[in-house]
Amino acid sequence: MASFDSVNYSIRPSKSVQRAIVFQGLRRIFEVMDLGNAIYVGFGSIWFTDFVQAHKLLDIDDMVSIEANEIGFRRATFNKTYRTISVMEGRASVRLPDILELEGYSARPWVVWLDYDSALDEEVVDDMQWVLSNAPPNSIVLFTVSATQNAYGKKPIQRPKRIRALLGDVVQDDLSKDDCMKETLPKTLADLMMDFLKSEVADTARPGGFIEAFKLPYLDSVAMVTLGGILPAKGAAAAARALVADEGWTGIVGETIEAPPMTLREITTLQAELPAVANLTRERIQELGFDLHERQVRSFQKYYKYLPSFAEIIA
Amino acid sequence: MIPAEKKRADANPTKAFFVRMITRDITLEDCIFDLVDNSIDGAWELAGGHPLSLDDKTDLSAYKISIRIEEDCFEISDNCGGITLDDAVDYAFTFGRKDEAETENFSIGVYGIGMKRAVFKLGSQIDIRSTYEADGSPSSFRVPINVEDWLASGDDNWDFDIEEAEDLEQKGVQITVTDLTEAAKRSFESPRFIRNLRRSIARDYALHLHRGLVIEVQGEPISGWTIELRQGGEFSPMRAQFEEDIEDEKVFVEVLAGMAAPPPDDSEPSDDFDEGQNTSGWYVVCNGRIVLAADKTTLTGWGTEGWPQWHPQYTGFLGIIIFYSRRADLLPLTTTKRSVDETSAIYRQFRPKMREASREWISYTNTRKQIREEAAEREDAAKSVPIFEVTIRQDVELPKIAPKTKIPQANILYTVPRARAKSLASAFGNINMSYKDVGLRSFEYAFEDLVGDD
Repeated sequence: MASFDSVNYSIRPSKSVQRAIVFQGLRRIFEVMDLGNAIYVGFGSIWFTDFVQAHKLLDIDDMVSIEANEIGFRRATFNKTYRTISVMEGRASVRLPDILELEGYSARPWVVWLDYDSALDEEVVDDMQWVLSNAPPNSIVLFTVSATQNAYGKKPIQRPKRIRALLGDVVQDDLSKDDCMKETLPKTLADLMMDFLKSEVADTARPGGFIEAFKLPYLDSVAMVTLGGILPAKGAAAAARALVADEGWTGIVGETIEAPPMTLREITTLQAELPAVANLTRERIQELGFDLHERQVRSFQKYYKYLPSFAEIIA
Repeated sequence: MIPAEKKRADANPTKAFFVRMITRDITLEDCIFDLVDNSIDGAWELAGGHPLSLDDKTDLSAYKISIRIEEDCFEISDNCGGITLDDAVDYAFTFGRKDEAETENFSIGVYGIGMKRAVFKLGSQIDIRSTYEADGSPSSFRVPINVEDWLASGDDNWDFDIEEAEDLEQKGVQITVTDLTEAAKRSFESPRFIRNLRRSIARDYALHLHRGLVIEVQGEPISGWTIELRQGGEFSPMRAQFEEDIEDEKVFVEVLAGMAAPPPDDSEPSDDFDEGQNTSGWYVVCNGRIVLAADKTTLTGWGTEGWPQWHPQYTGFLGIIIFYSRRADLLPLTTTKRSVDETSAIYRQFRPKMREASREWISYTNTRKQIREEAAEREDAAKSVPIFEVTIRQDVELPKIAPKTKIPQANILYTVPRARAKSLASAFGNINMSYKDVGLRSFEYAFEDLVGDD
């Protein structure tokens, strides 16, 4: 089932946090690199949430959304938020080369975010390889896949083999089933996919190399991971490297982003406690009159600035 | 008439040839291995320099080689005794081995090119430090090399300066390379390169790691491969030992071959990563170092001289030919130590032995197809044994399977309207009878009527 048939994904709070972190990072990269005439390439679905941010925050006009589903394509064309968005029907593997063929597009940097709902599979690996070797200099690439454990094998023992089949030699020989359980798989996958991206770029000898910039595991109802980096032109590598090496860089997180779905009232109550020097505790939440898991409290305190506020409008 | 001053053609080498050309014929990984080989030679000499047979029990657990790889720096350090000042002055930095150079016992290094080629391939700022024992106390020196300056200083003076240096923590060598070449920089950015380097070390230095040598990459020690052959039941690997005299020097040869894993039931190529397929084949070992691993090419005979090409059906076969000699130059090593010198007389001499062992396996995998289940049971009876424990035996023993006499078969294929087939099935008493059975029953019916008994 296509994602637009299952959920309005603009209201997944962790997804929103992740997206906000990505665009904050992209904005900072735009400040240090010359990306004035960049193109945005993504899967806009029928919501175009990332496209709106690309236009508003990064000032990107020319955008291409790829839509594989026939009905989705019609709906995306109907719903596209700006005149300058082109919707292309087909699989990314087929349409990406077509985008490169568009006049002038091979000479302009791309911000390309292949935000899959599905798990990593052979097709995604091929798409990643294509992007890493063909994206023009100074492009920024992002890939999101599901890290739901069953998608990599129903039995834990099957998962290391599946991951090895997908990512090859970057996978350590002693990858164990314990590394591929529900709790551990998102981190394992994020680390290995990042190693894969770096290795692919190193092996194809791209002049500017690959700079790791985004590693964001997040969980709404399913675990997802977003990985990304910069493919700088040779001269731009130093500035980009310095930016992501800076302590204030937020694109790489250790703990899974798990923003709890909360009511407006809960959010307002908790926000009134922040910013705080000390950590918010579960006890404090209980004193305030409701309750959350410890990890949800941690996530809230860390990411409340990125949290969207949702309200249902009854028309 | 040729003028006197033109009677000699200039054949002097240029520095640039050594820096830019000879580095092209070797991979970065093999360069790193050249440095590891030097460390191992030091350790082996210190440990007594015994013949490197499988039976040798030399303990190398006191020796450690550490490799640290960063995006802008490469460093290898060891505690394997160091280079003495005299050796540094006379031999270690010479391009190519001098004839009068003393032969190290059972060393891997032989051509006198490894270290220089390796550091040139890696980068252009090189610092080689050594701490060694001189008259009972540690003594140290360093050789800093700035490749660009050295090239710029012309082809008349090839020497490197030796400087005073502080002692290293242990007696050994430390080589640091910065200002990396583009190729080194790219590879060192690749986690895949580093994982594969670890895998290759685990394989190619398996025999040294087995003796306790510690090799670590990025601070993590590497466990060596356990190379095993299956022994027991009707399976006995070959393990034969030979001794040859070449130039008044002994060259020892040991050949092991047999089943490392049961052959696959399905020999069709598969997309799955197949570990058995990956490790099967011939291995060539020279003075302890695996120089050719899991080879399935003409180098080890496959596809030559009436020997079939490798086929996935042969998966499970593992053969090892081990050469060792006090003088490494008598062994079939290439300069990159990543292959064998096919023209080497000693290697050619033993190729028929390798072929015999391969042939036995080829024939076994051909006949076992007839009795797959039974063969699998027999294979289960054979247990994995490390190569060090394989019993001496002149040839491979595999189960003898008498080929079954085949009755030539004919396949009959014909098409009839479905309704007619159904009618016939119904006439045979079962409307649901499969078309195949309808065909067979009709044949039997006609055969009985027209031919009678067989």
